[in-house]
Amino acid sequence: MSDDPDKVWPTGLTLREAEEVHSYMIDGTRVFGVIALLAHILVAVSTPWLG
Amino acid sequence: MLNYRSFALRKLTSVAPRYLPFADVATPEVPLSRLLRLSLFQVTVGMALVLLVGTLNRVMIVELAVPASIVAIMLAMPLVFAPLRALIGYKSDTHRSALGLRRVPYIWKGTMCQFGGFAIMPFALLVLSGFGEAVDAPRWFGISAAALAFLLVGAGLHMVQTVGLALATDLVHEDDQPKAVGLMYVMLLFGMVASALLFGSLLDPYSPARLIQVIQGAAVVTVTLNLVALWKQEPRDRARAARMDTVQHPPFETALRGMASRPGMLRLLVVIALGTFGYGMADVLLEPYGGQALGLSVADTTKLTALLAGGTLIGFGIASRVLGQGGEPRRVGITGTLIGIPGFAAIIAASFGGGLFAFLAGTILTGVGAGLFGHATLTATMRTAPKGQIGLALGLWGAVQATCAGIAVALAGIVRDIVLMGAGTSATTPYLVVFSIELVTLALAVLVALPMMAGKTYRAKGATNAPHSTGTDQPSVEVT
Repeated sequence: MSDDPDKVWPTGLTLREAEEVHSYMIDGTRVFGVIALLAHILVAVSTPWLG
Repeated sequence: MLNYRSFALRKLTSVAPRYLPFADVATPEVPLSRLLRLSLFQVTVGMALVLLVGTLNRVMIVELAVPASIVAIMLAMPLVFAPLRALIGYKSDTHRSALGLRRVPYIWKGTMCQFGGFAIMPFALLVLSGFGEAVDAPRWFGISAAALAFLLVGAGLHMVQTVGLALATDLVHEDDQPKAVGLMYVMLLFGMVASALLFGSLLDPYSPARLIQVIQGAAVVTVTLNLVALWKQEPRDRARAARMDTVQHPPFETALRGMASRPGMLRLLVVIALGTFGYGMADVLLEPYGGQALGLSVADTTKLTALLAGGTLIGFGIASRVLGQGGEPRRVGITGTLIGIPGFAAIIAASFGGGLFAFLAGTILTGVGAGLFGHATLTATMRTAPKGQIGLALGLWGAVQATCAGIAVALAGIVRDIVLMGAGTSATTPYLVVFSIELVTLALAVLVALPMMAGKTYRAKGATNAPHSTGTDQPSVEVT
């Protein structure tokens, strides 16, 4: 890891930029995970599966 | 091995920018095709509005047999979020990003909210209506799940529309702003009309499975269109990112107070509130009025809505043309408000022997007036917005506009029902009461707006681009 915050890595991004792109990724995963969980609970309430 | 590595890297760096969602840095002219693509977000907003207020309203009451009071609460959910549009706009103005992005992150977050709401909405509605095993589920569970779904979609559409309009303002030169506003409005109208027809035909033989398919299909379409809309719209900009790091922003209350104390701003907001309220009340009542007062059939009253939309389109067209040629937005706005007064008068006269002709003429007139008014007030807001506070200004516009439109629709129904409960009135009286209220509100709007004509100096100088500035300062690279 370089300590130079302004270094542009071969991806075309600096460290901070890459971290920001990554944060969008993480946020999206979390939000969609919670939504999927909620949708499953709601479906299970109306039409239960496995028993 | 090293050769492969450098080869791959070289390939990667040469190919990548084409497939990344960032714009080329500050192109001097934004071509119409790109603006057209951006305006796709308005189609998803229109779709969400129609689904919430129109389609699901009916489905919940007729097919799912949900009590009307709960349906009313659900429909009011998106309204809760409308005043927060000012805050969203402010947040996007002051956003700090290492990539130099300001608007795109918020459009994306709004899209996620819309998608999430649509994804859980059909199941929430089925649980709410006690479908299948859900009869045994506690009542609060279905209600809170449905409320959450409606809240998410409402929050998402307000976020997308506010920040999307701010992005459009960023991209377009002041000369072209009327054109952009016209495009945005036309796309909103297109989204609403097209999705109303589509949802209606898709849900015709209703089944729970079909409801799930349609709403989740809307979710996928929303994400797709919004992604297409924001692709390559905002440049990745290291210089701007560096400035974002250092610049100090005033807190929200200070910024809001500063915006409200700008000359003419408060008056403009009051005019927008009154005008939107005046035109908004008619939206839901024209069709039943045509049916009950003039005895039109269901097919005929549907054509009425088409007529109203056609009038609105004409209004947008005229406003785009006049404002594009350097017309004064305030003058156009007042004209739009004035046109509505004879329009509603004609609609009222229709039940006093004016007949069908008066009714149709009145409908077209109110459509044209609403189009002129909506276009002109949005253009005026864009023009008075100071450079670094475009998001806040458009957020304020949206907060006032969306809140008043929502209250108008709700109040129209309430007033009609209250007057209907009164002893022995004829079927048309409640409608006439509502139309008279609209007439008075529009007249009030004109009264409030008139002093603005006296002082054209209200237009913020120095804060916005001069109308004919050349491309020396690109809007897209400005931070504050």
